[in-house]
Amino acid sequence: MSPASPTADLDTIELSPEPRGRRARAAVRREAGQPGTWVLLVAVAVAVVVGAQTPRFFSVDNAKAILVSTGTIGIAALGVTLIMVCGGLVSLAVGETAAVAGMVFLFSLDLGLVPALLLGMAVAAAVTALQGAMVGAWQANPIILTIAAASILTAVGARLSATSAVQPASDAFARLNQTPLGVPVVVFALLGLTVVVQLLMKATRMGRLMYAVGENRAAARAAGLPVALTVLGAFAVAGALMAVSGAFSAATSHTITLLGASQLTFNATAAVLAGGTAIFGGYGSAVRTLFGALLIATITDLLLLRGADLGMQTLVKGLLVLVVVLLGHLRGQQGRA
Amino acid sequence: MSIDLRAVRRSSSLLPLVALTATVIGFLCLPAYAGRPLESYDLFNLFEAFAQIGLIALGFGLLLIAGEFDLSIVGIFALSGVIAVKLGQAHPLLGVLAALGVCLAFGALQGLVIALFRIASMPVTVGTYIALLGLTRVVGDDQSSVTFENIDTTLWIQQPVAVIFSPRSLVVLAVFVAAGLAFSATRWGRELRALGGDRKASRTAGVPVNRRLVALFAVSSLLGGVAGALSAFNVGAAITDPGSAPLTLGAAGALIGGVALTGGRGNVAGVFAGAMSIVILGQIFFIAGVDELYSDLVFGLGLLLIVAVNAPSAKDWATRLRASRRTLVERALAAPSHA
Repeated sequence: MSPASPTADLDTIELSPEPRGRRARAAVRREAGQPGTWVLLVAVAVAVVVGAQTPRFFSVDNAKAILVSTGTIGIAALGVTLIMVCGGLVSLAVGETAAVAGMVFLFSLDLGLVPALLLGMAVAAAVTALQGAMVGAWQANPIILTIAAASILTAVGARLSATSAVQPASDAFARLNQTPLGVPVVVFALLGLTVVVQLLMKATRMGRLMYAVGENRAAARAAGLPVALTVLGAFAVAGALMAVSGAFSAATSHTITLLGASQLTFNATAAVLAGGTAIFGGYGSAVRTLFGALLIATITDLLLLRGADLGMQTLVKGLLVLVVVLLGHLRGQQGRA
Repeated sequence: MSIDLRAVRRSSSLLPLVALTATVIGFLCLPAYAGRPLESYDLFNLFEAFAQIGLIALGFGLLLIAGEFDLSIVGIFALSGVIAVKLGQAHPLLGVLAALGVCLAFGALQGLVIALFRIASMPVTVGTYIALLGLTRVVGDDQSSVTFENIDTTLWIQQPVAVIFSPRSLVVLAVFVAAGLAFSATRWGRELRALGGDRKASRTAGVPVNRRLVALFAVSSLLGGVAGALSAFNVGAAITDPGSAPLTLGAAGALIGGVALTGGRGNVAGVFAGAMSIVILGQIFFIAGVDELYSDLVFGLGLLLIVAVNAPSAKDWATRLRASRRTLVERALAAPSHA
């Protein structure tokens, strides 16, 4: 390690070294070359064709339903994007974290909407940051680690819901269910948070660190970058986002259970991958995930309208994850050859 | 003849032995705080619980030894149960064979894809895990469980044999013995460890890497399938979403059994001891009347701890910490005192 602070250089690193004129075109080419982009385009085309043949798909009510589920999936998926970009792979505790945070939110609503939301976010951020610390500092296996976290959260959630019925402590949550301009609040929240996360990733030092750590952890460590702190930070923000998703779910149904927890985990993971964020990190963005979430919500809705049950919905998402992972890998190999 | 002690220590850790000894002592001391003597059915229950997670720990552990990761084993566990129950209502054996055939075919295909494309098994099996859970629910007519109507088979499979065993636990123990023999008496054990230790070197040394990987993923799926079918017949119903418990307990068993998450370490005897320790601990909680929620919490925290200890950099980190403390002490000692 050199005695001079090598971290100072990071702020001046140009991620795309091409001159400005060519940069935009190169960016388009780069985005178009990502397997996720093609999966996304093909999937959207299929969705439109199938949608055209599905009664009630093109209706205002259905559009609203899709947007609401895009909101809860998307907000959690923004968190998963941060985890994936910095090389933390996936979290299998997304749904459980959201559910427990949702319970904390409902139970503390007598403090008011914002304090309750902040409390839920703080709990989820702390729990998830702890996992991030272990992944970041020790390279702990993220899958088994998050499964362990999920089973701990399930036990905690079961205890919370066993001692008292999970219901709001006041009706302060109602503001989360409003529909200003005819659009549910959760949609505005998703758009706002997408902008915030996109800025965090692209315009801050923390964001640049996340890409650097995800791209090549060993190099980042060798360069003296704060690897552990970066991963911890990404996980902490991810936890807070899962909590926001949980709070919206809790507000919509006035309660929250652990039953649907794994569905949110699968949906969020599929949304991030379908959006084109690289599973092993170093590449991806919040805007990509926004589109991925819209796609997953649309697919779920289409399958529901066509009478497919939970099983078929889950099967399709699993296959989608598999296809994106395989395509991403094949393209990566081509690049090396 | 000299024995390379370091090599012995590298290949087999003391952890499984210590864990097994500690839990067995805890189990034997149970009457002291449970308020009743141990009965033969406590041992029967012990082996039944072992039958529930043992094979998952084994399948998961064998793949980890070879440096691979198979999350889909939980999906296979669920799918196999549903197929065995649905097709086995009249002819249970037929149902089991069909289920195991599907598991074997799926595992081999998954192994083939992973071996041919040389793709990391972790993200692939995350995808297949989700897809298999979905498929299980589709096959199970979207119910949370499918009832096994063949009560005779359920009674047969859970009947006591030699007081403390049942046909189910005997099958699982037999699989462990067979796997243990294959692992220690043939080249497979060494080859698996070589695959997990240094993939490139083992390829150069002439290990048929691709064939071994396909076989290994097939075996892991088969083990998950046997566990799933046995479990469904035993309970009298196939659960379409087994939750995280099978993997939490199975992974904990394999890791306590001395298998490293980084690959190249561990053996079948270790996995047996590790899984047995987990099961005994569960039975201790059960007999002592510990609330299930608390025992879940303990298992979750325990797994968290093992994963942390198993993490590649945890050791460097601890070493660095010790070193920095030492330099601080040395500096303090070396510093001239101005007192």
